[in-house]
Amino acid sequence: MSSVRIENVTKKFGKVFAVKDLSLDIKEGEFMVFLGPSGCGKTTILRIVGGLETPTKGRVYFGDKDVTNFRPKDRNIAMVFQSYSLYPHLTAYHNIAFPLRIAGKKKEIIKKRVMETAELLGIKDLLHKRPRELSGGQSQRVAVGRAIVREPTLFLFDEPLSNLDAKLRVQMRAELAHIHNELKITSVYVTHDQIEAMTLGQRIAVLKDGVLQQVGKPMEVYENPKNAFVASFLGSPAMNLLEGKKFSFLSSYGKNKLVGIRPSDISIVKSGIETTLDAAEVIGNEIILYLKLGDNIITVKTKSLKPSQLKPGTKFYIKFNKEKIYLFNADTGEKVKSS
Amino acid sequence: MKRIIFYILLLIATLIFVYPFIWMTTASLRPEREISYLSPLSRNFSFGSYITVFKRIPIVRAFLNSLIVSSSITISVLIFSSMIGYALSRLKFKGRELIFMVILFTMMIPFQITLIPLYVLMVKLGWTDTYQALIVPGMISAFGILLFRQYFKAFPKSIIDAARVDGCSDFGILYRIIWPNSIPALVTVGIITFMNTWNNVLWPLVVIRKTSFMTMPQMVVLFTVGGQAEAQVGVQLASAMMLAIPIVIIYMIFQRHFIASMAHTGIKG
Repeated sequence: MSSVRIENVTKKFGKVFAVKDLSLDIKEGEFMVFLGPSGCGKTTILRIVGGLETPTKGRVYFGDKDVTNFRPKDRNIAMVFQSYSLYPHLTAYHNIAFPLRIAGKKKEIIKKRVMETAELLGIKDLLHKRPRELSGGQSQRVAVGRAIVREPTLFLFDEPLSNLDAKLRVQMRAELAHIHNELKITSVYVTHDQIEAMTLGQRIAVLKDGVLQQVGKPMEVYENPKNAFVASFLGSPAMNLLEGKKFSFLSSYGKNKLVGIRPSDISIVKSGIETTLDAAEVIGNEIILYLKLGDNIITVKTKSLKPSQLKPGTKFYIKFNKEKIYLFNADTGEKVKSS
Repeated sequence: MKRIIFYILLLIATLIFVYPFIWMTTASLRPEREISYLSPLSRNFSFGSYITVFKRIPIVRAFLNSLIVSSSITISVLIFSSMIGYALSRLKFKGRELIFMVILFTMMIPFQITLIPLYVLMVKLGWTDTYQALIVPGMISAFGILLFRQYFKAFPKSIIDAARVDGCSDFGILYRIIWPNSIPALVTVGIITFMNTWNNVLWPLVVIRKTSFMTMPQMVVLFTVGGQAEAQVGVQLASAMMLAIPIVIIYMIFQRHFIASMAHTGIKG
């Protein structure tokens, strides 16, 4: 196990910045999640930590050791990929055994470790199968097995669950959390899925265009977003962001402001701001309303309506919970004041 | 009806293609006076011509020489060309594309043009009448490099990354991961290289004079054209058959393997 320090790392591909001057400390045993939309540089930073890319500028430390120029094989890391990346010609057993064989471990030790790993992941009966005979979930379990079998100092996960179907994703998410609790190995996890980030991460680092936006515990970041991007990226459905100058009822917040409010902090009332229903989604006992207000669509999450009331064009009156309003500078997106 | 006509046409086409081979095979087994018959049938089949070939020239030695030369070159081409193909497709370095263009360019030059300088080089090295002269110039093939490069380019990058993280060096990645998943490319390059080397006459004729180093096609050509066959067509055909049989057998074995491996490579993209 080891802590990781990323120090002023910049990575350029040609003239394009994939990562811009990023610094971050990951504590020993911590589960850190990099979260951001595609193309935000989160995978690049993971690959830099793993040694698959070299940074254009900056250093990477494992503990006190500068590993910036170390090859992946000298870093004792393990990585789980989105596309599983199992070796097609090897059975599940030999896939898991592969890193140990490369490390020159004895056959008996390899067998013992592979069996222990398979036991932990519940894949003992799959060991004789080849990757093409495995389903997505099974493949990803084998890939996780290949990663944990070597007892690495650092785990890297590159969107490992994005190729799985929704149900399996939830299940694997729980398993990954369980494995981390059991092994307590420092983990860096990259995802664009905020639910994965919120549930798995002890801390999350939100990235945009290669720039680190905010780092913190999931709920801290959710409740106290540093800027409009972080605010709108975390939370489902996303936070409503309204330009203050466009709406008279928001004028009290000042002209050059973005007013943010989460869909669950808007209530449907008898009299208030008038809106028209554009569309509605009924998800079990929750209803998400898309309400037209001028040119804007305001998302509202509610439980108190009947599906029969949800005809497009219906008038709805809404009220913002003023205590839950976030204010951002309309030019920079930086937070001005939080509720 | 249409179908019947179609099959008849196919049959005729097949006969046109196959007849020369059948004729050659049977003619090599017929007595000399029956050689000129068009019919492949005869009542007097015998291995007489073959026995004559064995008696007159050291064809077994030539066969072994050819086997040594062709196998060495094939193994070497597989190892080195795949290494270069890997580097050109998977490693980033300055001048990579330029090197590839130069390699492609060498494919455009007919062998006859480089024949003389290469021969001079062999003489200067003192390699005439040696196995080196037959093997070394063919150890790397531009065609092999081209084919491996294209094939490896399609190999999933994340599997290579996984191998790197698992502790593989570039050699490990190539021989432990890419090779086992590139059987079709290996078999294709292997068969083509082996056949080309096996059938090569010009180069051995230039660098080899001692009978003990002669390859099979060289010996057969010298035998049939050079007068030792005493213009006996049956004997000439028998020697040509002996030259062709190993390559046909090898081709048949690997052809099956080739098709099988094409159908069974399970790389999921």
